Amino acid sequence: MAIYSFWIFDKHCNCIFDREWTLISNSASGTMNSKQTEETAKLLYGMIYSLRSVTKKLSRDDSTNEVRSISIGKYRIHTYCTASGLWFVLLSDYKQSSYAHVLRYIHSHIYVKYVTHNILSPYDFAENENETRGRGFRKISNRNFISALESFLGPMIAQ
Amino acid sequence: MVRTKEDLNQSIKKMNRINAASNTPTAVGTQETTEQQKLQHQLQIFQNSLPKVSQTAYMLLLNECVPLSMAVEKKRGDRALNLVGNGDDEVSQTEGKLEGVHLSPPLDPPSNQLCRELYEADEEKHNRVLDRLRNIGFEIGNKVTELLVFSNNPNLHFKDMDLLSVMKFICRDVWRQMFNKQVDNLKTNHRGTFYLFDYDYKPIQTFALDSESSAKELQMVKPFLEITVGVIKGVLASIGHAPENVVCLASYVDRPEEKPRSSFTKGVSFHVQVTM
Repeated sequence: MAIYSFWIFDKHCNCIFDREWTLISNSASGTMNSKQTEETAKLLYGMIYSLRSVTKKLSRDDSTNEVRSISIGKYRIHTYCTASGLWFVLLSDYKQSSYAHVLRYIHSHIYVKYVTHNILSPYDFAENENETRGRGFRKISNRNFISALESFLGPMIAQ
Repeated sequence: MVRTKEDLNQSIKKMNRINAASNTPTAVGTQETTEQQKLQHQLQIFQNSLPKVSQTAYMLLLNECVPLSMAVEKKRGDRALNLVGNGDDEVSQTEGKLEGVHLSPPLDPPSNQLCRELYEADEEKHNRVLDRLRNIGFEIGNKVTELLVFSNNPNLHFKDMDLLSVMKFICRDVWRQMFNKQVDNLKTNHRGTFYLFDYDYKPIQTFALDSESSAKELQMVKPFLEITVGVIKGVLASIGHAPENVVCLASYVDRPEEKPRSSFTKGVSFHVQVTM
């Protein structure tokens, strides 16, 4: 069970947080909120978005039919979508089939606690019309959020 | 607001006494458990009857006072500017009035932006916003005393209380009602000066900016202490220490070593000076 990267997308199709680990031996390695992963973020968003619309069309009744994970030749993508339009995405290897509880924990105990309850931090990361529809650039750079996330995900990077 | 365990424990004790009085003392063995169950049931009913409110909603509302005051101050400033600008022009004035009558008025900017504006505002405006906050706190303080004395604890007699007991009342009861905890440390010189130390002041615990700007962060969080400054003054005023005789200031202090690290880097100290 190893995780490779973690992403958060908001309802305006923007990537508001990304974290990629490069060395399995070192939990501090890799990039965070980097410009270089912008393209990857867009591709990842596009893939999940299209699979979501496909699954929506393929559902037998009107009940929601969400994508939970996508397995590809080399890795597995886990997604967790909230009603407010946030997507929590985690890339991992094959050893564990579900990371739903991890993503739910990140949402309820880290995102809500350190971003939603923090009055100094914006709750909508697109400040005007020009930053919606995937054209935003703002990221979560909150000290508490980052340290809590690192200490929570750190032990999972190389297990 | 929030009731704490100790309140409940007291009420359990009370109920125990009532039960002991009303029941014949022959209850033994198997009846003991049913007695226990009955007590638990009563406690359940008592707990259900208490007024409850979500702690999260209350905290958000309390913190939202700061952006609210800023928004009010800003609108007042805009109104004043408009009046000065359009004073001689009748037509534009009526137009302005018509614009004012919106069916769905435009939303205020988000709270984080208002907090930033408050940080960047000039000193005069900043002080006006802080005054507004202290007034809100003052009103809350006045009412909190009322609530604590007459609904929770009718046995408190402020007449024969000295100032130290009054401060203890603030540290214990008022703080517990407002923040669900007590003040960590109270220091005094016995001549009307008090220091109330709270090393993990609840409303600001999760506030943080980006990793590098820590001095700015402390400056931006400062207005959030003013409501409590007002509350302390309000409580003292309702007990008979007029607000002009009380000086209350909030500042940051370092957290002592033995305290566990929490997410906000500093503790808070309230300095209260009462002239008799």
